[in-house]
Amino acid sequence: MADSAPQFSLAVGDRVVYPNQGVCRVFNVDTKEVAGQRLTFISMRREEDGAVVMVPTTKVQSIGLRRLSTRDEVGKIFTFLKSESDKADLDWKQRARTNVDRMTQGGLQGLAEVVKGLQVLSELRPLPTKERELYDNARHLLVSEVAASLSISECDAEDAIDLVLSPPGKERPKRTAEEFKQIPAAEEEELELGGDILSLGGDGELDLPAEEEAEEAEASEGEADEEEQPAPPRGARAKGGKPQKETAGSGEKRTAKSKKPPSAPGKRTAKPRAAKHATAPAGGKSKRKVSAARPSKASSRRKK
Amino acid sequence: MIRVVTSEGYDPQEIQRLCRSLYTAFGVGCESAGQVPLPAGLGDPLDARKLIEQVQPVRAYADDKLLYLTGKKLKDRELPSGTAPTLGYALYGKDRALVSTHGVKNWEEGLRRVARHSLHQLGHLWDLYHCLDPRCSMYPPWTPSFANGDAIFCSFCREKSEQKIRLAKS
Repeated sequence: MADSAPQFSLAVGDRVVYPNQGVCRVFNVDTKEVAGQRLTFISMRREEDGAVVMVPTTKVQSIGLRRLSTRDEVGKIFTFLKSESDKADLDWKQRARTNVDRMTQGGLQGLAEVVKGLQVLSELRPLPTKERELYDNARHLLVSEVAASLSISECDAEDAIDLVLSPPGKERPKRTAEEFKQIPAAEEEELELGGDILSLGGDGELDLPAEEEAEEAEASEGEADEEEQPAPPRGARAKGGKPQKETAGSGEKRTAKSKKPPSAPGKRTAKPRAAKHATAPAGGKSKRKVSAARPSKASSRRKK
Repeated sequence: MIRVVTSEGYDPQEIQRLCRSLYTAFGVGCESAGQVPLPAGLGDPLDARKLIEQVQPVRAYADDKLLYLTGKKLKDRELPSGTAPTLGYALYGKDRALVSTHGVKNWEEGLRRVARHSLHQLGHLWDLYHCLDPRCSMYPPWTPSFANGDAIFCSFCREKSEQKIRLAKS
């Protein structure tokens, strides 16, 4: 089978950026037979440590391989980093998904957005370990690409980035949860879901299927602590009555409900037990939650 | 092993105290490796980039890290996004770092600042990037609070440096 031609041609000596890997240099383009098919491979060496990567030319576009950014593009990145952007999503799940997408796509703008977004978030509270690692990876990729694009050392590239993120003579500002809360509220208005959502469950509970709840509970075990902290606005709402049922996070509630049409509520509110367990404090184990949603054989026998 | 190389005459006891701070932070041996002259023609203040490239090497093993100390002022670097105040310089992931002790009159008081800057630049040699925690030595060094902090790493940077050192040993 013949290879289809790639959208942009790569030659030996070209510098490219492999998403999540960093800057590479093409050192060979040759044809090999793999499983009876003749494929053209682009071999490249990662500049950081010399690791070799081989990519079939047909996959070059789909994996997001791209040429090194130009000076103009790097200049735009500095402008973006300098801007007074305080967009930081407090919904950890949404944030994680967006950041992973940005990293996978591998664009320079995406890397800058991850770095900027997490830096702004860290002004509210320390980042959890996974996000701290993500921040470090994104910063590493950003620094190495800026250094390669501008032909400067990594030390100069990182200092150039930090000069705009943390200008000399200034401390990074401390932020409050209220500043961030304004963003999701605005989004909710745009979606025009606010009124409908409140009428769905009646008491604001999550109405997910049991499987989804169990998965979410498992995923949120590590994150629950950090998500519960910025909840003061929710405390204000708790004065109205039911604080213990709203620990899943307002952002989470929004995402969960936006998936479903408004006609669904009648069916779903019939699972109050599972919903309560899904919103239990972080100390609870996910197994308990699953077993609560599905009664064990022993308990069903006792009922008989 | 971290080897501290000086360009002027420093009190050996001061260097020993600095070495102790570095040993505490990284958990690898640290010792003084003597004195080397500064390369000629670097101007005043010194150009950190040229200095680190042209400075005379000292005898060391492949995985040793060299920390050059100079009492001279370093020239601020002109970068694409502005002018960076320069108190040190490092070759990321390589073996050389430079720290200026310019402005430190009294080592009793200034040691903490020098140790913090040294930790910062040596951290870059083990692939550490700037940190978000103001207490960590990898925080951007031109912030007002940097000089007042202790010569310590945050838990993330400490673990990462330990991991890098373990990898280098193996």
